[in-house]
Amino acid sequence: MSTPIDPRGPRFGAAITATLLALDVYLGLDASTLGAAHVLLGVITVGFLWGALRGPANHPYGYLFKTLVRPRLAAPKELEDSAAPQFAQLVGLLVAGTGFVLGIFGFSAGIPLAAAAAFIAAFLNAAFDYCLGCQIYLGLKRARVIRWKV
Amino acid sequence: MPAEFRLNLVFGLIALAAGLGLFWRNRTGRAKAIDRGEIVDLNRLQATKAGLPVTAFGKRVTFLQFSSETCSTCKQTARLLEELEQTAEDVLHVEVDITNRLDLAKKFHVIQTPTTLVLDHTGRVTSRIGGAPKQSTIDQQLGSFAI
Repeated sequence: MSTPIDPRGPRFGAAITATLLALDVYLGLDASTLGAAHVLLGVITVGFLWGALRGPANHPYGYLFKTLVRPRLAAPKELEDSAAPQFAQLVGLLVAGTGFVLGIFGFSAGIPLAAAAAFIAAFLNAAFDYCLGCQIYLGLKRARVIRWKV
Repeated sequence: MPAEFRLNLVFGLIALAAGLGLFWRNRTGRAKAIDRGEIVDLNRLQATKAGLPVTAFGKRVTFLQFSSETCSTCKQTARLLEELEQTAEDVLHVEVDITNRLDLAKKFHVIQTPTTLVLDHTGRVTSRIGGAPKQSTIDQQLGSFAI
């Protein structure tokens, strides 16, 4: 499923996600705040799940962007297809979700590690317009990790 | 873990991500010259342009762009090269979605999209551009084919 969207929307969302993930790494590095880090990573994971299933335009951050940010910006030069950011959300879901599940099974180092890995991707997306769908989708497909169509 | 040490780790992570981003931005969209590149087989490529099969190369240069379905920068690249084709004579832009042409992805060793092959008038690969081409890269490529 793909719809044309303002390309700055997903980057705005990635900036929020990156901030939350950085906070999560900080919390996850100390035993006293590990529980909070686990809960926050769960919340972030649900956010990724939402984006992966319903697309960035129907995500709460997409709604925030539409109502608060976009009215203050000039019109975008061009629209982009939602397939690329939706794929990135799916990758985020897998990484953050893995950390969350590892935490449940007592491997608590998995929480800050997964948060750090997801942070790098979200930060690159927000700050450098790095597109995971451009960089790794084809590679995964060639390695037969992906068999489905977006 | 002491709060200060944790903060330093988080700042280190941010610095690492920023470094990766700068490294990536510096490398992406640059042309790499290919010595004795192969000649692209149009029959095997099965490319279409405006609904019609592509049967000839550009008289001066062809930009063969490989795209995929989850690629946002592919469209920007396509627009850039289409505009170039309109203004520069003897330049051809061909775009192939290789999401379902993994045979081509394998043959041309494509892992990221867009990947653009620069072909001379015989269809021989002379350069390869990984990522969205910078304007300077395109100008430089065009210059190398000046008649």
